[in-house]
Amino acid sequence: MTALHALTTSLGRLSGGRGTVAADAGTLRVRADETVTVSFTVNGRPASVDVAPRVTLADALRDHLGLTGTHLGCEHGVCGMCTVLVDGDAARACLLLACQVEGADIMTIEGLGKADDLHPLQESFGRHHALQCGFCTPGMLMSAYDLLDHEPGVTAEELPVKMSGVLCRCTGYRNIIDAVAEVAQANPETVPPPRNCSTATLLPRTSVGGRRSIRPDNEADARPSAVEIRMPQTEPTTAIEVDDDVTARVDAVWDVMEDTERLARCLPGAELMADFGNDRYKGRIRVSLGPVKLAFVGDIHVIERDPQTHTIRALAQAEDAGGGSVQADVLFNVEPRGEGSVIHARAGLHMTGRIAQFGRSLASDVSRDMFKQFTRALDATARGEAPTLVEPPSAIAIAAQLATSRLRAIRRRVRRAIRQRLKREE
Amino acid sequence: MKAAPFAYVRPTRLGDVVAELVRADEDGGGKVIAGGQSLVPVLAMRLGRPSTLVDITDVDELKQVDLIDGSLRVGAAVRQRRVERDFRGVVPLLSQALPWVGHREIRSRGTVCGSLAHADPAAEMPAVASCLGATLEVTGPGGARRIAAEKFFSGAMTTCLGPTEVVTAVRIPLPRQGDGFGFAELARRHGDFAVAGVAVRVRTRGGTVEEAAVTAFGVSDRPRYRDLRDELQGAVERAGVDAIGIARELGDAVTAMADQIVTTAGDSHGSSQYRRRVLRALATRELVHAYQSSLEPPR
Repeated sequence: MTALHALTTSLGRLSGGRGTVAADAGTLRVRADETVTVSFTVNGRPASVDVAPRVTLADALRDHLGLTGTHLGCEHGVCGMCTVLVDGDAARACLLLACQVEGADIMTIEGLGKADDLHPLQESFGRHHALQCGFCTPGMLMSAYDLLDHEPGVTAEELPVKMSGVLCRCTGYRNIIDAVAEVAQANPETVPPPRNCSTATLLPRTSVGGRRSIRPDNEADARPSAVEIRMPQTEPTTAIEVDDDVTARVDAVWDVMEDTERLARCLPGAELMADFGNDRYKGRIRVSLGPVKLAFVGDIHVIERDPQTHTIRALAQAEDAGGGSVQADVLFNVEPRGEGSVIHARAGLHMTGRIAQFGRSLASDVSRDMFKQFTRALDATARGEAPTLVEPPSAIAIAAQLATSRLRAIRRRVRRAIRQRLKREE
Repeated sequence: MKAAPFAYVRPTRLGDVVAELVRADEDGGGKVIAGGQSLVPVLAMRLGRPSTLVDITDVDELKQVDLIDGSLRVGAAVRQRRVERDFRGVVPLLSQALPWVGHREIRSRGTVCGSLAHADPAAEMPAVASCLGATLEVTGPGGARRIAAEKFFSGAMTTCLGPTEVVTAVRIPLPRQGDGFGFAELARRHGDFAVAGVAVRVRTRGGTVEEAAVTAFGVSDRPRYRDLRDELQGAVERAGVDAIGIARELGDAVTAMADQIVTTAGDSHGSSQYRRRVLRALATRELVHAYQSSLEPPR
């Protein structure tokens, strides 16, 4: 649960007061004991942090945005662990003040690839055993990406000098050079693009209400009318697909699905706050994970209801009080199967801010478990029983589910590895 | 490795930069920041604790690079990597020296003028400015003034810049016909501080040496400039165009120069004597190299 630990740590730091910024004739002025709001883009997604002038970009990324993939070694510009791309050029994040990157386009190791979709450089590092302890790896990868981006024809002989900006204390240089050389050779024209950066226009911050305008605990703050939901035109942060066999019959399930209020009650921790008509709603949902409490308030628009195929499709966007936001494209479908039916749920989630700190696999684990609880509650409601879960999902329940789903994943991985080994030996 | 608190101001006009420096000077001392690649480590190690940082990177006029009056004029907020990439070969010695400045990751943010104002004795940019006879443009409460690079550096990390003055640009002369250049440095690893380094400019006309400017760095408290015109001309007259011959003939003169200017005490990376020998070897090699390239027809 290290991701969770990082999250709680950064939440604690986020709770400090906000400073004021004096401006005259375009001069930005921040006192030493004040903070300033700095907005920039990280991995294609907008981000903003409140920082004191002395906070470096590295600390802002790690402590304020939870992007702990950027490592800190020496913190004075020698070791290169904290290398990130700033406006396309590699730079040491520990030698940049966060207040200096207003409007900049930052790319971190989190943007280079995803666990299930690694960048060719990452694949190559794996193949060549270009890491031992792995501490320098983010810096090495970002430096290598920058190098191949600007000098795609770089030769293997030049690499030792060109890659000298990042130190490896395991002295795995030979393998690192080999790994970079392989990608350089395979891509003589241009380096393959990053795998986890949104490039299309993102949702403007104002359209989700701005983080100060939303107080999840104060219903008076609920916006008086529905807002237009715009989905990012990019790959979702995480995609979830759940099929669940339930005992209730299709018609009974569909009845609940048609009744938005009853449907909402099936989602653990969720509550419908306003019905604007035309299938537009405002709602909130609380997720509680140990000391972590997320409370999202947002808008839902059901854009498709098909009684023939028993399908509902809805768009939702919501913000957490701490500045994170989620946008979701959700599709529910119920079909008969045997005596009962099967509920099929598919969702693409776009996440920004602190919830993205979960790390993608954890975020999708939590979401998938919530969907499972939802289908079970939906089944119970359809059968005329009270849904078993109306309270926010408890820490223990979710932790236990997480643990089991993690265990399942590990078991799957082990099984796959054994199968591959057997295949190779054949 | 966290900096002590400081205030931060980011003006958008040059006049405001000076006003902020004056205000900061009365308030415990300000410091100009551009790329911050030398300053931020100093802050992180708390070797310096200015009360206010005045960021000049939002001043549009400092972001300009122009070709003006036979010089490349580089504004104070212009990053090294931009000059390296977009003005390759415009000032050949600058293009030869830039890849030696820190690492690519440092040059992405570090500025040419910042390197001059920081005046590290082992830095490349001050040596290039000295060797090419560059001029620094400086603005302060009393107005603007120009300072020759040779007069600008007054000691280790010390310049003749007043506390409320800011470097606004550097004018580096463009090469002329008959110019040849040489640049070399020795460091334990690429990007480390130089044990010794040298920048050389030789100007010839019709095979005759007119100038032979040598600036050594990393061996004293500031870049050290010498004109070895007579020595090089003498060596060429005695040895002809044979590189090894010229190098041999230069031996005594370069040895004398190295003995004179190497003042850096020895450290664990090499004695003072070692630095002399390194400088001798590099200076001889680059003088020959610069002389030979000065004879080549301009491209």
